[in-house]
Amino acid sequence: MAEDPTVATVAQPLDERLQRQSGLRRLLSRPELGAIAGTVLVFLFFGATAHGTGMFAADGILNWMTVTAQLTIIATGAALLMVGGEFDLSVGSMIGFAGMMIAIPTVYFGWPIEISVIFAFCGALLIGFLNGLVVVRTRLPSFIVTLASLYILRGMTIALSILFANRTIVSGVKNFAGDSFVVPLFSGKAFPGLFIWLADAGIIGKLPNGQPSVQGVPAMVIWAFAIALIGHIVLSRTRFGNWIFAAGGDANAARNVGVPVARVKIVLFMVTAFCATVYATCQVMEFGSAAADRGVLKEFEAIIAAVIGGCLLTGGYGSVVGAFFGALIFGVVQMGILFTGAPNDWFQVFLGLMLLTAVLFNNYIRRRATGER
Amino acid sequence: MSESVSAKPALIEVRDLVKHFGPVVALNGVSMKVRSGEVLCLLGDNGAGKSTLIKTLSGVHKPTSGSFLVDGKPIAFHTPRDALDAGIATVYQDLAMVPLSSIARNFFMGREPLRRVGPFKFLDLAFAEKVAREEMKKIGIDLRDSSQAVGTLSGGERQCVAIARAVYFGAKVLILDEPTSALGVAQTSMVLKYVNQVRARGLGVIFITHNVRHAYAVGNSFTVLNRGRTLGTFEKAGISIEELQNLMAGDKELQFLSNDLGGTV
Amino acid sequence: MGTQLKKLLAAAIATLPLIAGYGTIAHAEGEHFVFVSHAPDTDSWWNVIKNALKNAAADTKTTVDYRNPPSGDIADMARIIQQATATNPDGIITTIADFNVLQSAIQGAIAKGIPVITVNSGTAEQSKQLGALMHIGQPEYDAGKGAGERAKAAGVTDFVCVNHYITNAASVERCQGYADGLGVPLGDHMVDSTQDPTQVYNKVKAYLTSHTGTNGILTLGPNSAEPTIKLLRDTGETSKYNFITFDLSASISKGIKDGIVESAIDQQPYLQGYLPVVLLTQYVRYGVMPANNINTGPGFVTKDNIEMVEKLAGEYR
Repeated sequence: MAEDPTVATVAQPLDERLQRQSGLRRLLSRPELGAIAGTVLVFLFFGATAHGTGMFAADGILNWMTVTAQLTIIATGAALLMVGGEFDLSVGSMIGFAGMMIAIPTVYFGWPIEISVIFAFCGALLIGFLNGLVVVRTRLPSFIVTLASLYILRGMTIALSILFANRTIVSGVKNFAGDSFVVPLFSGKAFPGLFIWLADAGIIGKLPNGQPSVQGVPAMVIWAFAIALIGHIVLSRTRFGNWIFAAGGDANAARNVGVPVARVKIVLFMVTAFCATVYATCQVMEFGSAAADRGVLKEFEAIIAAVIGGCLLTGGYGSVVGAFFGALIFGVVQMGILFTGAPNDWFQVFLGLMLLTAVLFNNYIRRRATGER
Repeated sequence: MSESVSAKPALIEVRDLVKHFGPVVALNGVSMKVRSGEVLCLLGDNGAGKSTLIKTLSGVHKPTSGSFLVDGKPIAFHTPRDALDAGIATVYQDLAMVPLSSIARNFFMGREPLRRVGPFKFLDLAFAEKVAREEMKKIGIDLRDSSQAVGTLSGGERQCVAIARAVYFGAKVLILDEPTSALGVAQTSMVLKYVNQVRARGLGVIFITHNVRHAYAVGNSFTVLNRGRTLGTFEKAGISIEELQNLMAGDKELQFLSNDLGGTV
Repeated sequence: MGTQLKKLLAAAIATLPLIAGYGTIAHAEGEHFVFVSHAPDTDSWWNVIKNALKNAAADTKTTVDYRNPPSGDIADMARIIQQATATNPDGIITTIADFNVLQSAIQGAIAKGIPVITVNSGTAEQSKQLGALMHIGQPEYDAGKGAGERAKAAGVTDFVCVNHYITNAASVERCQGYADGLGVPLGDHMVDSTQDPTQVYNKVKAYLTSHTGTNGILTLGPNSAEPTIKLLRDTGETSKYNFITFDLSASISKGIKDGIVESAIDQQPYLQGYLPVVLLTQYVRYGVMPANNINTGPGFVTKDNIEMVEKLAGEYR
C-alpha cells in the first residue's frame, strides 16, 4: 500500500502495470469502510461478552462515549495532518502544556479564566505554527521535529509549573472561574431536560436521590462531534481539503500546480495544536485542575485512531469520519475490556490484540469490498 | 504544410539563450521558436541541456543572457506562475498528479472550482467531475467515474489527463517533457494521437524527447540540442528519420550500431 | 495471503472471549468489589496490595478487580472509576491521588448508592468530604515529618528528596514533611528522578556530586530507593548518608541489613488492600463499619526488626 503507484506505473513495462492496476482497485473503496466494519465487530464482541455488566446502560454508554469523544478531538487533528503527509507527536505534551497555560495564569496570576483560555489557545496555535514552520523550513521528517517538541513541551510544563506554582498539579481552577461561561462551555452537560424525561419514562436508570443516572451529554462529546464534522467537511468539501490531499499525496506535484504546500502544512500543525487545547480545556474545566503528566501517550492513541480509520501512514489518503470510528473502536475496546472483568495484568495485551483484530478485519473488509483477495 | 505553419507568428521564440550555473555552462546559445499549430520536437541525448531549457522556458530558471520573446515581445519570467499566466504550460515527467486522489480532484488541483453557500465556499465537486469526464471524453477516454483515483489509470491515460488539464486551463504553448519515455507501444500512440489533436486545435507544442521515432511521428520541425547548444532546426520535409538520428547522436557510431543490430535503435 | 489472514483473525477472535470469560464467570458468586489505584503498570510497590486483594477475596469469598491507569494519568483514573460505577459493583475502593480530578467520579459512585472506601493517597478530611465510608492509609505529610525528625536526631543538616512520582501531589507532601521535620526549607532539594532506574541512578549521582554538603537522603519508594542503593554500593559511600526511604522491597530490606538504609517508613500496604475488602464485605452483608479512619502507618523498619519483615518483602510487606 505504501508503494508509490506513479513509480510503478511509469518505470515498469506494460505487463507489470496491468497487475498494479488491479492492486489499486482497493483505493476505490472509501477509507472509512473498514473502520465501520471494525466498529460493528467490536460492538458484537462486547455485546456478547459484556452483556449485563452495565456497559450498555446509560452511564456505561456515557463512560465509553466520553473516552471516545476525547480521543475523537485529537484524532481529527491527527487524521487531517496525516492526510497532509505529516505527524505530530507533540499532541500529548501539548495537552499537558495547554492545561497549565490555563491553570497557572488563572490561579497564580489572577487572570480572568476567559483570558487564560484565550491565552492558552493563542499559545498553542503559536507552538503549532512553530512546529509547522520548522518542518517546512528544515524539510526534516515531522516525526523527528515533533518528537523534539514532545520532550520540550513536557519539560517546559514541568519546569514552568514548578517555577510559577512550585508544584506539578495546579488545583482549584474552578474556584477562580466563578460562574464564567467557559466552564459550562467546556464541561457542562447538554440537554439535561431530555435525560430527566428519559429517566422519568424509565428508559434510563435513576440514582437513589431521584436524579437520572446520566445528567446530560458532556460538552466534550459535543465538541468532539462538532470538530469531527467540521474536519470532515473541510477535508472532503473545500478547496483547502483538496490541498491537504495534494500536499500529502505528492508535495512536489502539488507545488507544481500552485498549491501553497508550506502554508497548508503549517495550518495543519496549528489545527492539531488547537485540537489538543480543546481536549486540555475540557479536562481542566471538568476536573478543575491541570497536571504536568496529563496527556502522556495520547499522541499515539490519536495516530492509532487515525490509522484504524483508514489514514495511510504515507499521507494523501484518509478521512475524518474514519478517524472518528477509529476513536470509537479504541474507546469501546479500552473501556469494554474493563467491563468484561478481564484480569488487569493482561489489560494492555488484550487492548493490543483487540486493536490488531480490528485493524486486520478493517483491512480484510477493504479488500473484499474492492474485489481483491 | 510546413510553409503555412512558418507564415504564422512565433508564440515563443528564444535567441542565443545562455544559462550558467556558477562555472557550469548548461546552455550555450540555444535558438528556437514554436508557432501556433506546430509541434516542435526538441531532441537531444542525456545531458544535452533539455531539462535546463524547459525550466528556463517555464520560468523556473532565469536565463543568464539571450532573448526570450512571447508573441514577438521580449519578456522575463520571475516565477513559474508568470509563465502560466503567459499561456505557457509545462507537463513534467512526474505529471504533477497525486495518484491517490481522484481524477476530478487532480484535474482541478490548485485551481479548484468553488460554489458559494451562504458565507462559505465549498468545492464544486459535481462541476469538477463533470468537466473532467467531458474533457477526458474529448480525448477518447470514457470514464465511468471521474472520482476514481488517478493511480488506477494507465501511464498513457495519466499523461493525457495532464495534457488535457493544461489545455483546459487555457495554455497556448504546451511543453511536454518526455511524455512517451516510459510508455509501451499502445500507450505511446494514444499520447501521440492526442498531441496531434492538440496541435490541430492551434496550440503550439514543444515536445521533448530522445526518441526520434516518436518525434518524427508528430513533429513539424525538429531542433537538435547537443552540449548546450542547438545544432540546427529542420522542417520535417527537409530531413529523414535516419539523418535526424545521426545528428542527435553527434556522430555516426549509433548508425553503425543500429545497422549491426538490425535497425532497432 | 488471504487464508493466512483468516486464520490469524480467527485465532485472535477465538482467544478473546476465553480470556474475557474468565472475568465474567467470577461475577456470579459472592460480592464484587473494584479496587482502583493511581499507579502506572510499572510501579512494583502495588504488588503487595494485589496479593492482599487476592487473599482478602479468597477469605471473604468475594471477587475483587484491581484497576489502574496504565500510564498513571489521573484523568484516565477518573474514567476508570466512572466505568466501575457503571458496572454496579458492591463496593469501590479507590485512592485519592488527586482530589479535584477524582471528586466527581467518586461522588458519582456514592450517589449511585455504591459504598466507597478510600485508601493510600489522600487525607482523612478529603475522604470525609467525598462522602466515603472511611479512609485507610498513612497521612503523607506526617509520615514525611516523622522521617525528618528522625533524620534531624541523627544529625542530618542537608538533604535530597528523590521523587520518582513528582506529578502526584502526595509525593511532594512527603518531601515537604521531611523538610519541615528537619527544619530546612525544601527549595531545590527535591529531584524529579522519573521512574526509569537508569535515570534515577544518574540524576541522584549528579545531585550528590554537585551538592557535597548533603548528608541525608529521602526516597519515596522502591522505584527511587533501589537505584539509589545501587549507586551508594557502586561508589562505596555506604555509610556516608542518613538514608530513609518510604516503603519496602527485597532490595531495600537488604540495604537496611547492610547499613546503607537507616530505616524504611512502612505504611503496611497489605492492610490497605486487605482491610477495605473485609470491611466492605461485612458492611454489605451485615451493615457494620468501624467509626474511625485507620492509619496503617508510619512504622519504621530498622536493622532491629528487619529479619521478620525481610522474608515477606515485596509479597506481603
